Amino acid sequence: MRLKIYHRTVYEYANAVINNNNEVRLSPKLTPYQQVETNFISVLPATRLTRYTDLNFNRVHHFNIPQPHQQLTIDSRCTVKTKRPFEIDSLPYGYAHIEVKKCSQHDSCHTYLQDSSFVEKTPHIWREALDIQADSTDVFQTCYALMDFIYSDFTYASGATQVTTHASEVIKGRIGVCQDFAHAMTAYCRSLGIPARYVSGYFFDSTLDQKLRGSEASHAWVEVYLGQHGWVGLDPTNRKVVDENYVVLAYGRDYRDVAPVIGTYFGRSGSQLTIHVKVESLETNTAGVS
Amino acid sequence: MFSHTSRKTFPHYKCLHEHYANYNVASLSNKQRLIENTFLEEGITFTVYGDNQGTERIFPFDLIPRIIPQKEWQLIEEGLTQRLIALNLFLHDIYHEGQIIKDQVIPESVVKTAAHYRPEMQGVKVSRDIYIQICGTDLIRDDAGNYLCLEDNARCPSGVSYLLENREAMKRAFPNLYSQYRVKPVDNYPDLLLKTLQHLSPRQGHGPVCVLLTPGAYNSAYFEHTFLARKMGIEIVEGRDLIVLDAYVYMRTTKGLEQVDVIYRRLDDDFLDPLCFREDSMLGVSGLMEAYMKGNVALANAVGTGVADDKVIYAYVPEIIKYYLDQEPILQNVPTYLAWREKDRSYILSHLDSLVVKSANESGGYGMLMGPCATKKELQNFAKKIENEPRNFIAQPVISLSRHPTICEDLSIEGRHVDLRPFVLYGDSIEIISGGLTRVALNKDSLIVNSSQGGGSKDTWVLND
Repeated sequence: MRLKIYHRTVYEYANAVINNNNEVRLSPKLTPYQQVETNFISVLPATRLTRYTDLNFNRVHHFNIPQPHQQLTIDSRCTVKTKRPFEIDSLPYGYAHIEVKKCSQHDSCHTYLQDSSFVEKTPHIWREALDIQADSTDVFQTCYALMDFIYSDFTYASGATQVTTHASEVIKGRIGVCQDFAHAMTAYCRSLGIPARYVSGYFFDSTLDQKLRGSEASHAWVEVYLGQHGWVGLDPTNRKVVDENYVVLAYGRDYRDVAPVIGTYFGRSGSQLTIHVKVESLETNTAGVS
Repeated sequence: MFSHTSRKTFPHYKCLHEHYANYNVASLSNKQRLIENTFLEEGITFTVYGDNQGTERIFPFDLIPRIIPQKEWQLIEEGLTQRLIALNLFLHDIYHEGQIIKDQVIPESVVKTAAHYRPEMQGVKVSRDIYIQICGTDLIRDDAGNYLCLEDNARCPSGVSYLLENREAMKRAFPNLYSQYRVKPVDNYPDLLLKTLQHLSPRQGHGPVCVLLTPGAYNSAYFEHTFLARKMGIEIVEGRDLIVLDAYVYMRTTKGLEQVDVIYRRLDDDFLDPLCFREDSMLGVSGLMEAYMKGNVALANAVGTGVADDKVIYAYVPEIIKYYLDQEPILQNVPTYLAWREKDRSYILSHLDSLVVKSANESGGYGMLMGPCATKKELQNFAKKIENEPRNFIAQPVISLSRHPTICEDLSIEGRHVDLRPFVLYGDSIEIISGGLTRVALNKDSLIVNSSQGGGSKDTWVLND
């Protein structure tokens, strides 16, 4: 599927600010399941853009605006070609809980088993996760059960949580948005010893009634490590195994690692943030006869 | 149409090749004559300045369409989008902080001495921060089949009406052939253009009133102005139809004054406002710039975009793209020598007979010198001009444009040089009309495709895979 994404972020400052230093994680990742055709990031006021790769192998753009300004606009436009990782009849079963212990020593997994800024393992979370796991011995089955639990037992509502809400608070309050759901799921998985990482990106709602959550915004979900199957994406907000409708921007330990725009400036605090995201499908099934 | 190396027909041209084999030369020329008559009757014409005949001419039309497969087109689209974003950031930058000058990527003198640089625009906030809403970049193909960018027409590019009319004519002339290909439609252009204009409107909570400002019936592109205004369903106005009161622009209508929000102006900056620019302009509107700078009316394209059009700035576009987008340019430039750089200038002067010399701020094929076919006297004249005003000249190697089969005057079918002008719109999103104006140099071996210099056009088909 070819998807076209337009993501605009506008900060309006009450007073002019200076020395605005920012990191932007808005370039889709190159993965076996997604191919980036184009990707343009433009910043106003216009300034030089540079780029590097961070610890989690995300592509990061960096810029600095020294002169006074009252508004900062970051536009990202990209076209991505995606592929479905798993067919519905060949889901990644077959990775047993006994095996998962071994992977904690792997470079790529160790980080995603530890506590991080917004995700911590507590006895309470561990107990809940054990209850949800019940008698499952298959890691994918357990993860699916965790996702199902969050989807059905948590309330999806904006405003109840902030951008800095921790996983433990979400699990206690049973309410949140996609970011919180993803944090909660990460916490459950890690407490059971399953490596889990937080993913930010977009998704395209291909359903006719447009009932899925989080399509016209930045979205977040979780990837869990399933041995021979690699990292598999699960979206607790919509109870879906990640398919060709999803576009991955970045992954990390939690939101802190992948925030789309993060930065500092000199000036009075307080800014108004407006975000506009549009995801369109470029599939053309109709012939171009007019 | 044919491969350069194997002399075989490209797969996407096969159907066309077979189809044309059914016609003899006489029936083809008959079709062509019919089309040209229709063009003349419908008034699809342009005027040539400084021509004694002084008559309106039709834009010569060639019956053999150019076909671009989806894959090639995608590359063009990406490249143009990248270029347009970067040029807009560049314009925003030089009319505000000038970071790119402070970082010494482009010398300040080059920017500030561009003939179309408008100091008046310094610090002015343009609607939606978009400077170039409508861009018609000229592309050519070199020997290796790569698309190169020849110039960015960032002021008021014309030609889109011919593109639309050519498509109508082709559909009428070859209905069967047309339906055998899955050609992407182009007729959504007026809608897209209108949306792009409406997006600019500064007035909230009121349906945007857009108008097209034309210099008048004697302008070479007047047909196009009427055509676009009609297709978009907006008023076409001349300067005297507009009036500025208290820094708002109004249109005189039979029902009284009506406030105007967006002006699609097909008038150069110089003539827009006699108070601000040329005081002898009879075409503009007094006070328009004041209303514009206060943000009460939007202009498309913005004032001062001509800097991006300057051929010396053109040479810097790859660096501009790298600076603002941190990317490599997708569409390459034609190698360019800048006469104001001493090293380049001595090279130009010693190789004048093998280079194309262009003046930095002219368009339409005026003010240029084709080294290989110039007389000694012309060469000497140009050498003198270059030495006198080095800032105003650039030189490029002669690129052998790609050739495309074309029906010639003696009714034979021969290869003629072509270029391509796609049209890009930058509004809410960046839209590129699927196709473009393919211009063809009708004279044998000529490399000049400008309509004012004896060029014709072809329909351009972009295929849906």
